[in-house]
Amino acid sequence: MHKLSRLPTGIPRLDIILGGGLVEGASYIVQGQPGAGKTILSNQVAFANVGRGGKVLYVTLLAETHDRLFQALGTLDFFDRAQLGVSISYVSVFQTLRDDGLSAVVSLIRQEIARQGATLLVFDGLLNASDRADTNLDVKTFVAEVQSQAAFAGCTVLFLTSTRIAEDSPEHTMVDGVIELHNELVGVRTVRRLQVKKSRGSAGLGGYHQFEITSAGLVAYPRLEAILSTEAADNEPGGRQIASGTAGFDAMLGGGLPESSVTLVFGPSGCGKTSLGLNFLSQASAAEPALHFGFYETPPRLLKKARALGVDLETPIKSGALELIYNPMTENLLDKLGHRLLDAIRSRGVKRLLIDGLGGFERAAVHPSRLVEFFAALTNEIRVLGVTTLATWELRDLFGPTVTAPGSEISSLLDNLVMLRHVELESRYKRTISVLKVRDSGYEPVIHELGFGSRGLAVVSALEPVTGATTGVATAIVPETDA
Amino acid sequence: MPLIVIAEDEFLIADVLVIMLEDAGYEVAAASHGKAALTLVREKRPSLVITDFMMPLMTGLELAQAMRADGELAHIPVMLVSGAQGSIGRAHPDVFDAVLDKPYNEKQLLETVSRLLP
Repeated sequence: MHKLSRLPTGIPRLDIILGGGLVEGASYIVQGQPGAGKTILSNQVAFANVGRGGKVLYVTLLAETHDRLFQALGTLDFFDRAQLGVSISYVSVFQTLRDDGLSAVVSLIRQEIARQGATLLVFDGLLNASDRADTNLDVKTFVAEVQSQAAFAGCTVLFLTSTRIAEDSPEHTMVDGVIELHNELVGVRTVRRLQVKKSRGSAGLGGYHQFEITSAGLVAYPRLEAILSTEAADNEPGGRQIASGTAGFDAMLGGGLPESSVTLVFGPSGCGKTSLGLNFLSQASAAEPALHFGFYETPPRLLKKARALGVDLETPIKSGALELIYNPMTENLLDKLGHRLLDAIRSRGVKRLLIDGLGGFERAAVHPSRLVEFFAALTNEIRVLGVTTLATWELRDLFGPTVTAPGSEISSLLDNLVMLRHVELESRYKRTISVLKVRDSGYEPVIHELGFGSRGLAVVSALEPVTGATTGVATAIVPETDA
Repeated sequence: MPLIVIAEDEFLIADVLVIMLEDAGYEVAAASHGKAALTLVREKRPSLVITDFMMPLMTGLELAQAMRADGELAHIPVMLVSGAQGSIGRAHPDVFDAVLDKPYNEKQLLETVSRLLP
């Protein structure tokens, strides 16, 4: 099978969405409204190309002066002023177009590509070229001529345009790929998304993918369920049982947490979910590196909490066995969180993971309807990576008969279910723990009482015989006495 | 009235330069790239050439070098006006008589022009 030569974009993960990068010598339309990120995208690709020894010809038709462009690009890390006029040339052909027409522009571009030995041509302002053309045929001819001359020289082309080019338009038909950038208002926030609408010769990732613009330029976050759907997953569960770190809990689980499983720990606020998780993380070692991926507590607060409980997290943090990643519950991007988590797992070979809690992902979802697919992709990948995971889920009601686990489909994606409750019994509140499901294993189906010992949360004993413990309001069962 | 040839691909900048110089009493001819400017210089024999650096077909440096290599044009002063390549211009004092960094104001431009004109 013939493999196409690729030109890496230099934009994190965009090459994955494109099915391996831009095809060398191919031409692409990059379209999007003003402010969508076309200029940054194209310049980032340009400087990445220069970084690999390429030569870039950046042709503009727009009225903005190059100095203003450089001023704006100067705030971005990839922009290298020293390359201007050396490996990358910005030239305006507006006057040539105005005075001599499209064919003169084509001729000028052809000469420039040859003269500079350009490996990448960026043509900014296809819209203006369209305005100048008398008929669609002229634009089609223009695009065809520029791309064929560039292809002949092995030069990849990006045509930038701020209008949406119809899918049946000549330009769309001619080019090898179309990348569309969006900047949309969702509720009160804006979300940037890109879509590869056409990608000849490449199995790209379809649909919308979130991206953001940082000082490093564009960073793309392919939809997790799209990127992970194509990878063959060797999901043979490990046979070991992993110590939970909470005294008495392993016995309830039938020996420990199944290796590479995902356990949902759900319960209302204050019932001990995070404490159970901190115990789990305290078992971190060089052989089993651990990660806290949290949304609610900053690392200093978390460490303070652990110290108060008598759980030592400082030692594993100092040795590098434990990392704390805090994601404030502000404006998050679902796929950014997913990639951040997976990158952190892969970079350190994490084996113990606490996600505190899953609600942080839910809040970040612009389209909650895809959460099931997202969590399916995430949990599958976590299992494939051999990570044993505790994920917390906060119940809304402190007391009451209603227990709302994450959507039933999400719960079914998880291997083990553990419920924590506050139970009122004879004017006393007790914390309880019960195991509702363990993957492929027996477990103790008995509600136990939790208590705090000198080394954190611990399972104390089986709860005395009561009824209604799961409703939060229990009544002691009085043994019948023989008359 | 001295004639000045301008080589500038960006029409907004070219327009402003033409207006400022004409207002100051100079005659101006503009070209949108270095190659066209060289033709204009050969034809008009101006008293001064003001050039941008990055342009299609022929850069400002190549234009200045071509002029210096041509015995009939070698004496014409060349001024580089550039935002990013001023340092490249200063590295070639043999071809550029002056380098003006963008952004510049009208006063700086006219002072440099009058200094270069005979």
